[in-house]
Amino acid sequence: MQSKTLRDILVLLTIGAALFAGGYFLVREISKSDYDLSYEVSMEQEEELGNLFKDLIWDKYPTVKENYADTALQQIAKRLVNALDSTQYRYQFTIIKSKEINAFTIPGGNIYVFSGLLELAETPEEVAAVLAHEIGHAEKRHVVTRLINEMSLSAVIAVLSGGDPSVLTQMLQSVISNRFSRENEDEADKFALQLLEDAHISPKSMAKFFQKLNDKNLDYNEDLEFMMTHPHSNKRIDRARKYKTRNNFSAEPFSIDWEKVQKSLNAE
Amino acid sequence: MEFYPLQQPDEIAEREKEDAMGAYLMMFAAVAIGLPLPIINLIASIIYYFINRKKSRFIHFHCVQALLTQIPTTVINWVAVIWGVTILVSDQYEATEMFWAYVVFAGVCTLLYFIVSIVAAYKARQGKMYYFLVFGPWAYQIAYRVRPTDNMQTSEPMNKPPF
Ligand SMILES: [Zn+2]
Repeated sequence: MQSKTLRDILVLLTIGAALFAGGYFLVREISKSDYDLSYEVSMEQEEELGNLFKDLIWDKYPTVKENYADTALQQIAKRLVNALDSTQYRYQFTIIKSKEINAFTIPGGNIYVFSGLLELAETPEEVAAVLAHEIGHAEKRHVVTRLINEMSLSAVIAVLSGGDPSVLTQMLQSVISNRFSRENEDEADKFALQLLEDAHISPKSMAKFFQKLNDKNLDYNEDLEFMMTHPHSNKRIDRARKYKTRNNFSAEPFSIDWEKVQKSLNAE
Repeated sequence: MEFYPLQQPDEIAEREKEDAMGAYLMMFAAVAIGLPLPIINLIASIIYYFINRKKSRFIHFHCVQALLTQIPTTVINWVAVIWGVTILVSDQYEATEMFWAYVVFAGVCTLLYFIVSIVAAYKARQGKMYYFLVFGPWAYQIAYRVRPTDNMQTSEPMNKPPF
């Protein structure tokens, strides 16, 4: 009788473990299916889509080109892109003239930073943290994945083959609104921390900038787009602060005059 | 270990069968009220148990079995509730894949539990025994084992003559 009891307990535990494992794989499959969708759109198609968006943005937003701030941004971006192991994107970084504190990534590796965000940053390293995060969204193909999830794959394909231009505008809105899932944000954060380290930029700068956004959010009720769409819970700040760099890590400062960047932004 | 003999379906009164069935159905009524908080069903089962356990061994068995199985089910669901609330309230925890896997697990467990409970309720109504894995034999021991205190009359008398 004893051994039968023992056997029954084992059977029950096995059923429990099997149910849990089943649940785990089910959840894994569901969360993976989102990701896999991005492979329905090739890199070429993504670049094409990006070009369509680029033209629209060009029409809708004033951009800042060829001043000191832009040069500084390109220098920061270059350091990050060079630190990537490999990439399928030809990255482009553009400043949009707007007081909004925001940054977003459109398909094809095109990253936009609002001048409001650059004004809030006190060091080039803080801007690097934001760029690294956006590069993370691009590299992990979050942008395309979300577009497909929100607008359906057929809509994306239709736009590519010259469909309704109003759909394209709608898509751009969705891209700029920057609503990624929490998992995507975490993934982009982790990617960014690693990339910052590889680029010899202290990952602490990410914590600093996120903290700044958090504090600002408490003080004002301004147009904090980036903050709203990138909820920086204390957990994310904590993770950036506690990120362990390898032993031989040394930060290389940028040769950028940050005051001059701020001035050139104000001069525009 | 000694056990009392099991009654056969035709030896069990209709009233007993209904009470035994009620032990399992109690949970459904409770679940309907207490779904967000998986504790009311447990309380209901405990109350039902104390009201009915003395009525007969057959009822006692089914009440104990319903109550015993209620405990792990409640614990499993509570863990899901507490975990979920923690994620909602705290910055430190987030809804990981592990959490969702657990939610699926708890959901399937509860569903399975519902199914076996319905089967058990049906069997009880027919006056049959129905043993859940592990909990069935355990409940049988509790309800049918012959306890020394049960046979006071047959054991040695307290007062004995001097010779
Ligand atoms: Zn993000």
